[in-house]
Formats: sequence, structure tokens, C-alpha cells
Amino acid sequence: MNIFKHIDYSLLKSTTTEREIIDFCHDAKDNQLNSVCVNSSYVALAKQLLNNTSVKICTVVGFPLGAMSTEAKVYEAQKAIKDGADEIDMVMNLGYLKSKNYVSVLKDITDVKLAIGTVPLKVVLEISELNKNEIIKACEICLDTNIDYIKTSSGFTKSGATLTCIKMIKKTVKNRIKIIASGGINSLETAKKYLETGAHRVDTSNLLKVEIDNLSHSYS
Amino acid sequence: MQVAFRYFVFLILIYLKQLNDYIDHTLLKATATKEDIIELCEEAKRFKFYSVCVNSSYVSMAKEQLKNSDVKVCSVIGFPLGAMTTKAKVYEAQNALKNGADEIDMVMNIGFLKSKDFDGVRNDIEGVKQKMPNNILKVILETCYLDESEIIKASELAIQSGADFIKTSTGFGPGGARIEDVKLMLELAESSPVKVKASGGIKDTNTALEYINLGVSRIGTSSGIAIISGTPPTSHY
Repeated sequence: MNIFKHIDYSLLKSTTTEREIIDFCHDAKDNQLNSVCVNSSYVALAKQLLNNTSVKICTVVGFPLGAMSTEAKVYEAQKAIKDGADEIDMVMNLGYLKSKNYVSVLKDITDVKLAIGTVPLKVVLEISELNKNEIIKACEICLDTNIDYIKTSSGFTKSGATLTCIKMIKKTVKNRIKIIASGGINSLETAKKYLETGAHRVDTSNLLKVEIDNLSHSYS
Repeated sequence: MQVAFRYFVFLILIYLKQLNDYIDHTLLKATATKEDIIELCEEAKRFKFYSVCVNSSYVSMAKEQLKNSDVKVCSVIGFPLGAMTTKAKVYEAQNALKNGADEIDMVMNIGFLKSKDFDGVRNDIEGVKQKMPNNILKVILETCYLDESEIIKASELAIQSGADFIKTSTGFGPGGARIEDVKLMLELAESSPVKVKASGGIKDTNTALEYINLGVSRIGTSSGIAIISGTPPTSHY
């Protein structure tokens, strides 16, 4: 298994410069990663840099709080696809979920999916903010939609994916929705563990840097 | 003498405008529930805060809760990263206004600023302002990520691009308002009609008064009740 093919590479911090996006896209291309994930204002630039490569461009919508209006999420997703995005990561409306307003949680997701058609949609659950029942409920809502992936975390809260949680999500969604482990995964070793536990992909922002650092240590 | 005069002006200001009038009563955490928003609005009415500040998915509910009151509804846009496309920010703002928002707090594109793509920063702000000429637009600089020269540039760009307020922080970065940053922003805004909003980490009466004394026109806080009643804050936001 070429593990790099299962790695989504994210650069989402708000201070990211054009220069960083350029270096980052080159990294992704050189290592033949599955995709890069950038904020929507950098999609057009990433597209330009990765044209004619196999690296896909993914962008985030309603990120990282998930608390923007459904209409705005739909628009942000459509605009990103026009700019060249191949995949969309949207954050679930956690406030609606916690309010037990499940109809609105569902509508938020289905409206975006409807608007983007065949473009793969990933829904970020932000598991660090949810209890076990809420995670299961969030998965059940996702099962009522035709999204392609459930993603554990935005990477902007206190913690990210856990192996226990991947197992729990897997048990709920079976093979009907693929799972992406994200947040705090910063070594190939950890990435492998997640893939073995049932995650289909792993999302990281610092794995390459860590691996490159390790390499340079072993040479020094 | 000058100090005494400034203090006198300050007292008059306080007399004319109560502390509660400065406060944008804020609840932006991702997990805020419907009940939390209703409570926020009830508090804002009871304590006569200037506005409530909420995420865009809660604007219509806040508006409904606050009808027949003077409390305004403020929505954040492109929040808290500021890194979404200009077109999406414009759309989110228009949608929030349609749903009843009176004011918009947008986050500047910090990445563009750091890339020295100043036209990009300007277009981002102008694009939103053009769609809301009669509503207040506050531009959040997220000063915790900026050095002094970047705060100066960011403030100038926002002022040139039609911002009504420059605002320090989202409350989601590693730091909030700081006295020295606010002083700098006030100086930069001095010769324009642009006002300053201090936000992030303002949790007690003394801190709020310190900023107001400096000259800020608005305080963004989740501790509004603690600030106006002088009790210790209960919120961490």
C-alpha cells in the first residue's frame, strides 16, 4: 500500500501566505499525495499550481465553526467548485445538533450536496465537541444523506481523532460512508494505525514536515 | 491639566452613554444551542446591550427574539479565519442582512495581508461594504497574528476600503485585545470617521473602562453582564 495515496494534506491556518501555498502544493505534488486542502480563498491559486497533476484540491466550507447559514455554505461550496475545487469539506452545524434540531442539521448537509452534485462531500463532525450519543446521532443523520465521507475533526479545537471514535463511527456507518481521521495526526506510524482501524484516509497538516525532519535527523 | 480635562470628557461620555451601550453581547462558539441564543437575547434586552453578536446561522432567530427591542443584531462573516473567498463573504453578508442583521463583523483576509496582496485585502472589504452602504461594517484585524507594521497596514487598508469600525480580535486566536494595539488603531482612525472596537479577553469592568477611556466605541465580549454589574465573569469566551 502506498500510504501517501491515503493522505490528505491540509494547510488551513488563517495566516497562510501565497508563498506557503506554493511550497505546500509542490510538497504534495512531489510526494504524490491524494489531495491538498486549503481555505476557499486559495482554491484558484492551488488549482493553477496543481493543474495536470493527480493531486486533488479540496476546500473547506463553513470552517471551522460550521455555524454559518446553510445558504452561505451552499454558495461558498459552489463558488469553490467554480474556482477548481475537486472535493468539499463542510463542518456540520454543531449548534443545531446540540439543540436537537436534526431536521436543520440534515437540511444543511443535503442542501450543500444537492448544490455540488457529483463532487465528493465530506462532513466534519468535530468529535472533540460531542459526546458519544451525539457522535452516533451525527453519523445517523449522515446516513440519511448521500455524502461520501465523514471526517472526525477540523483541527481547530482542543483535540482531534481518536482510534476509539473511528471504531464507533465505523460501527454506526458500516461501509456506507468512508471515514477520514483528522486532527493531531503527525506521524506516518499514527497514520497507519488509523488506516488499519477503519479510516479510509488520513488528513494531516504536519506529517510531511515531521517525516522530513526525521529524515534529516537520520542523516545528521 | 490635560489629564484632568480628558477625565472630565470621559465622565461626560459615560454620563451620556452608559456602559451597556458599548457592549456587543457575544456568543460565537460552534456548540451554542438555540436555548443559549435565546438566553443571550433575553440578557441583551434586560441589560440594554447595544447588540448581540452571533454566527450567521442564528441571525434570523436572534432577530425574532429581539423584535420590539432596541437591541441590534450583529453577524460575523468569514469567521473566524477570514480565509474564505471574497464572493462567499459578500454572499454570507447579504444573506445575514436579509435575515435581519443590522451590523456585520467580517474577518480580514489575514493570509492576503501577510502575502502583501494589499489589493486582495482591499477588494475583500470593498466587496462586502458595497453591498451594505447603510449598515455598519466592522473589520476584524486579528491583531494577535500581526506585528506593529502589519496592524498599521491592516488598519489603513480597512479605513480606505470603507470599514465603519476596525476591530481587534475574533476571540478565537491565541490572544485578544491589547492596550498598545488599541492605542495604535485609535491613532490611525483618528483623522477618519472610523471607530474602534476592542474584543477578545475583555471580561471585567476595569478592563472595559480602560478601553473606553482610551476612546474605543464598542466592546465585544461574552462577559457583558459581569462587566456592567462588576461581578466576576463566568464565561471563558
